[in-house]
Amino acid sequence: MNDSERSMEPTSTRVRSERTFARFSAGERWQHALFLLSFMVLLLTGLPQKYRAANWSQYLLSTPERLELIQTIHHIAALILIAETVYHLGRALMRLFQRRLNGAMLPTWQDVRDAYAMLRYLFSLDRNKPSFGKFTFEQKFTYWFFIFGTLIMIGSGLVIWFPITFTRIFPGGIIPAAKLAHSAEAIAAAIFVLMWHSYHVHIERLNLSIFTGRLSEREMHEYHQREYQRLTPEVNESPPGEGA
Amino acid sequence: MSRRPLGLILFGAAILVAALASTISVSNVGATPLTQAGVSNDSCLECHAVPGVSLTLENGESFSAYIDPNEFNQSIHGSKGYACVQCHTDLDGYPHPEFTASDRRDLALQLYDSCFHCHSGQYERTLDSVHQRALDQGNREAAICTDCHGAHDTRQLIDPSTGDLLPDARLHIPITCAKCHNAIYGKYLTSVHGDALINDGNLDVPTCINCHGVHNIEDPTTAQFRLLSPSICANCHTDASIMDKYGISTQVLNTYVADFHGTTVEIFSKVSPDAPTNKAVCYDCHGIHDIKSVSDPAGGLEFRQNLLARCQVCHPDATSNFSDAWLSHYIPSPENNPTVYYVNLFYSIFIPGLLGGMGILVVMDVTWQLRKRRAAKRPIEDMQEQASETGLHPVLGSAPDTASDKEAGEPQSAPEDGS
Repeated sequence: MNDSERSMEPTSTRVRSERTFARFSAGERWQHALFLLSFMVLLLTGLPQKYRAANWSQYLLSTPERLELIQTIHHIAALILIAETVYHLGRALMRLFQRRLNGAMLPTWQDVRDAYAMLRYLFSLDRNKPSFGKFTFEQKFTYWFFIFGTLIMIGSGLVIWFPITFTRIFPGGIIPAAKLAHSAEAIAAAIFVLMWHSYHVHIERLNLSIFTGRLSEREMHEYHQREYQRLTPEVNESPPGEGA
Repeated sequence: MSRRPLGLILFGAAILVAALASTISVSNVGATPLTQAGVSNDSCLECHAVPGVSLTLENGESFSAYIDPNEFNQSIHGSKGYACVQCHTDLDGYPHPEFTASDRRDLALQLYDSCFHCHSGQYERTLDSVHQRALDQGNREAAICTDCHGAHDTRQLIDPSTGDLLPDARLHIPITCAKCHNAIYGKYLTSVHGDALINDGNLDVPTCINCHGVHNIEDPTTAQFRLLSPSICANCHTDASIMDKYGISTQVLNTYVADFHGTTVEIFSKVSPDAPTNKAVCYDCHGIHDIKSVSDPAGGLEFRQNLLARCQVCHPDATSNFSDAWLSHYIPSPENNPTVYYVNLFYSIFIPGLLGGMGILVVMDVTWQLRKRRAAKRPIEDMQEQASETGLHPVLGSAPDTASDKEAGEPQSAPEDGS
């Protein structure tokens, strides 16, 4: 798909070409890949610690050395996730101050209206499926769910990683509370990824744009019609401009 | 011909004798008195009841061989009519072979294994004990049967009707162990358990053997003992029939296992019980032999400074807030540990809500997708519509030959009405 993006005019009638639209920058794709990787590692090393009563967990954690190793891996992956979160939010803040922030991911009232329209559509109250902008309300919800989830995980994780430091300022009760929140939020995130995110990007349709960076015109048209309409009027001579 | 049946009879008799012998040696207190067999106690006492009868040991020490007939007759063995020679099996009359020992301890060590003849079960269990190991390593002072039970004044310890320890025997246990472990006995007396046993005669509290075992007394300094120790405390402390009397929670083990220390200890105790761990077990906070009531002003963990002092043993930089991180065996409630309670409440609503809400939406979405696909299969004329409808495989789906030819009019004229 990538290669064919520039071939606006058919060079040959035999070649089937399709126009694609830039969706994610290389930096954003790398961020997603890194997030995916650290998320998986954190989940795989965290779940055995949560489900200590299960046999498979006890098999993994059978010796103090193994437990320590698993915790070390968990901590390293956590540091990667923290660094990435700081980078991501820091960059967004910086761009906000520079007035260069692309607001496409910010929640708007239109998202509430879209969600309502989508619900009406799903309940057969409305024959028309709502049309969406660059990011659908579902994609924004996913994004913000991960932002808040990650912040909860980082905050609670640091509290249980450095309990003595935190109780210099905060009451002791935050440690068991953080432990509980860390453990429960992890499950919420896992459910979210497995049920919601993987359904929407793998099962509903295979959407690999976060890896390739581009969406085909057909997908743009079907799933992001408002964005497609916004981009296409000026696109007669040149390919659509970068989304950012 | 006639020798065969006789051989069989002899063989059968031999088996019978062997079986009888084995029942005698296996059963604990079931050995039958054999006063009529061999030498009667009276003939022994002819000499040994004479005050002053003694023998000289190899180290020159004089050892009294005097037996007080009253004392022996009041002992469990004497009162049941057991014979001297049932223990002193190498003697069968007078004059008996000369008995020599290098010193008093050597004498006891030579004689104590005659307990095995009747009490083989208990004797064999002692072979696994820390005392036996010390003995094997050359510590002659390590306890043998007679050090705890006495020799000629062995007491009745078990109530034959119930099989339980007699109250008297129970009260006597710490004093028995104190013969060697008197410093620990001193600590035990100051503990909530020891105080209740010795001063109040309370038989619910543990004595030495409830934690350490009886004959196969384990080495309490091993990593394994440490990892498995919470189950020792839990034996009584999860038993509502004992704890309810004193208003003590039986959730102490659950709440311990639910927290950091207990979680780790629980895992290791199951999969690698011999792994050394520095994670706190019950006795790290509550004390080992000087276990105090939590409400005891001197060291009771209800008082925050006492708890903090325990925390600081392992967490030297801990401040007073840190000790509150431990939920003090409480199950979180709005009164106790409200933060934890409300976080828990939030997630116990949020997670099922998330699961259910998303499940419903996803199922509805799937239903729509399937319905759309079925509907799209019917009208074949509109290929383009179908391609965008099925849309599952954008790469494989039939796309228009060139994008440019449709982009002019298509976007506006392709609303969702077909969907």
